[in-house]
Amino acid sequence: MTKFFTILFAGLFYVTPSGSQIINKKPLSVRQTGYTIDATLDPVTKTVAGIMDAYWVNMSTDNVEDIQLHLYMNAFRNSKSTLNIESGALSDKKDSERGWIDIPSITERNGTDLIPAMKFISPDDGNLSDQTVLKVLLPKPAGPGDTVFIHVSFETKLPSVIRRTGYKDDFYFVAQWFPKFGVYEPAGMRYETKGAWNCHQFHANSEFYSNHSLYNVKITVPKEYIVGAGGIQMAESASDKTDSTKTLTFLAEDIVDFAWTAWPGYAVFTDQWEHVKITLLLPKERVEQVTRQFTAVKYALGYLAKNVGPYPWTYLTIVDPPAKGNGSGGMEYTTLFTSESSYIVPEFIHFPEMVTIHEFGHAYFMGILASNEFEEPWLDEGVNTFWEERIMDHYYGENSGMIDHPFLKVADKSMGRLSYVHSEGRQAVSNKEYSWNYPHGTYGMMSYNKTATWLYTLMGIIGEETTNEVFREYYKKWAFKHPSGKDFVNVVNEVVTKMHGDKFGRDMNWFFDQTLYGTGLCDYKVVRIINNKVESPNDSLAKSDSINKSRNVNDQFYNSIVQLERVEEVMLPVEVLIHFKNGEEILESWDGKSRFKDFVYNGRRMVEWVKIDPEFKIRMDINYINNSLTVDPDWVPVRRLTDKLISFMQFFISFISL
Amino acid sequence: MKVIASVRSGISSSFKALKGVVVVWLFSILLVSLVAMPMRSALKAGLGDSMITEKLAKGIDIEVLADLGSNFKSLISYFSSGLLMILITGFLINSFLAGGLFNSMKASSGIFSAGEFFRSSSKNFWSFFVISLLICTIILLMLILIVVIPVSVVAQSEISSEGSVFKTVFITVLIFLIVLTLLFLVADYARAWQVSKEKNACFKALGFGFRQTFRTFLSSFPLMLVLLAVQMLYGWLVLIILSGIKPQTGAGILLLFLLSQILFIVKILLKTWRYGSVTRLMELNISTSITQQ
Repeated sequence: MTKFFTILFAGLFYVTPSGSQIINKKPLSVRQTGYTIDATLDPVTKTVAGIMDAYWVNMSTDNVEDIQLHLYMNAFRNSKSTLNIESGALSDKKDSERGWIDIPSITERNGTDLIPAMKFISPDDGNLSDQTVLKVLLPKPAGPGDTVFIHVSFETKLPSVIRRTGYKDDFYFVAQWFPKFGVYEPAGMRYETKGAWNCHQFHANSEFYSNHSLYNVKITVPKEYIVGAGGIQMAESASDKTDSTKTLTFLAEDIVDFAWTAWPGYAVFTDQWEHVKITLLLPKERVEQVTRQFTAVKYALGYLAKNVGPYPWTYLTIVDPPAKGNGSGGMEYTTLFTSESSYIVPEFIHFPEMVTIHEFGHAYFMGILASNEFEEPWLDEGVNTFWEERIMDHYYGENSGMIDHPFLKVADKSMGRLSYVHSEGRQAVSNKEYSWNYPHGTYGMMSYNKTATWLYTLMGIIGEETTNEVFREYYKKWAFKHPSGKDFVNVVNEVVTKMHGDKFGRDMNWFFDQTLYGTGLCDYKVVRIINNKVESPNDSLAKSDSINKSRNVNDQFYNSIVQLERVEEVMLPVEVLIHFKNGEEILESWDGKSRFKDFVYNGRRMVEWVKIDPEFKIRMDINYINNSLTVDPDWVPVRRLTDKLISFMQFFISFISL
Repeated sequence: MKVIASVRSGISSSFKALKGVVVVWLFSILLVSLVAMPMRSALKAGLGDSMITEKLAKGIDIEVLADLGSNFKSLISYFSSGLLMILITGFLINSFLAGGLFNSMKASSGIFSAGEFFRSSSKNFWSFFVISLLICTIILLMLILIVVIPVSVVAQSEISSEGSVFKTVFITVLIFLIVLTLLFLVADYARAWQVSKEKNACFKALGFGFRQTFRTFLSSFPLMLVLLAVQMLYGWLVLIILSGIKPQTGAGILLLFLLSQILFIVKILLKTWRYGSVTRLMELNISTSITQQ
């Protein structure tokens, strides 16, 4: 039986469209799973009816007794679903606006009915009302190398737009809509000690962990609809006699998820970046955003290709949903992502660009490097945020990546740092948490911003080129696989050791223990500058020497002490810049381990100011203000600020008092 | 013809009342300093003797402000409570001083006298206060009726497109600006009428303001439109100038402060010009109607 399926699988792989090599010359991944779906959208009932043929190859040495499938759409079936308990997302939905997925039939390729073998399970929280994970007991365990084929008919009722999926009037964004295999992790993969399915429930903050797959999807929609989807459109045909519908066929290779959108109001634009054809779908009224969207995504393509690794697909679709479909904006499905703009967005606000660059970045961090968003969201969202901030500030201004207005400039990385260093929950847990375990609404701050901030800090310590080399190596080793956090740390250790020897110690674990796995804060402070006037060693001689006495009268001798303090727990190496009144400067290094540190200088110069981390490399430092101290403070900027405030208040009052 | 004459007369009247303008400026700077000075001290205390002020050299730096921590909260607290205090006190003081300014705009008023300025200010205070308060309330209501409600309705509507929301915003704001111009006219006519009367009669004054605005619409509206357009243009110009200048030395700061105060005095002069022009137009219209009778 096993041999039969292996031969059949091999045959199908080369014969069927889903198995043939059409887009890339060589498969990018091992393609452990594949899907052929024939889906029809019914705009009246807001449902998608689908027939799906899918396969999963047991690449482990285990005998696997079951398969597990995500039925994400059931998160919107009832208010007791785990997603709703975590987020209350369904609280304002009428019954007709809810969503679900039904499976009227599921069979093995040989026709064995698997319906009796189906069972909903809740591996994360034991919630019996949650129906987002389906376990199907196989009639016979799948042995090593076996392929399990399933034939499924399903009906997906779309919810009104929620969590980046659903409908609004005639707008549809169809995501997490079909039964999708979980990932079978054999012993030794990531953190597994014995083989098991990794198929989490749909949670409020996480949904991605899948094998790279082949998708061959036929979508039938009313004729007037414009459709965008992951992959390449291979064909379009009128699908019934009345000619009221059309069927589009999409083929996608080596992506982790397949989503699509349909709406009659889209305008379609295309552009080219090197080998990539970029398609942009957005409301017709938003044509002014077209250049901005293309420019942003090209920046991201270029930057990531240069510093991480090539974008391997030849296609990319950007969807900028209309205002009524805003709930679907800002999401990533690899080769298709949604941005978020508006009819008018002033040029100086780079929010649409930020969303575009962030969501595109997920093609790398989660798409190509398919980490587990459920279990290690930092490796997905945090790493991606780090790159988003770097790209934004690189192309839109180091200090104005987010807002670039003469009155106010804000860097993207500043937003990230502030969100972490001034959050009340910054010490609640470490980054090493499953997505649903972050307490008190700290998920976003911890997964996105704390991670990006400590990655910036890491870059500050090991250097930009080493950081880029880390990611290039991470890409080389783990592209189209499932890396874990420890795999990333191992890559950092290898690259840093290769490039810097033991400059930072035997490895960089000391850094990750404090930042990724720790909850401590980082704060370095200049406590005091002391300039004591002392007698010069020659003064005693000078007193008895009338010639020397007159020569040294203005030549004061100083004993200067600079007192530094590590205020919080995190210990990081820092640079200390000491500036003397005579213009001399000394750059000292401090390993940052002791609580206090003094630098002492004797000579004919007094210390004027001191800066710890003068280039702001340690972005985890929670307070930049106490990083420096001067004996001669410059209040000009403060006076300017308050004087301008006075003027603006005067004008304002004059205006409102008629 | 009347409009041009009024505008000309407004200019000469405003220069005639220059001392009154200086009085208004003095009150303004004193009032705003009550809030700005403690804020400056709080900011200095928060920054200590740090070199971080370098990061403020190019303008506001949100990381520095946020790193102020509790001091930043104090700053915001100072600012918000101070702004409220300034709004209320500023409104009262301006209502008070407007009496003196309007009195100086009358054709019958002679050389500026501080005594006469403050006498008129105190005599007309309550009327001016009620007129200003009512007109401000009407402006607020009009903003809600003309802009907020229609835009909200269009934004909520399932059939409206994104563009239609922005077009609605554009059209409603335009209509609101027209209404605003009319309400400024009403307020100015009412106050100009009030100072010409012996007794306080704010509601009669408002009635006169409305009547005069619509009776002399063809001359009044273009006049106010021009005056407000000049003021708005000036305000925008000042914003650009003050925001663009970033002196790096103490002397430069002093010069910027002096420049900003001169610009503000010019702003009061422009407002006085408006008062003078409307007063003159009212006087011309009244004398014309008396002649016709």
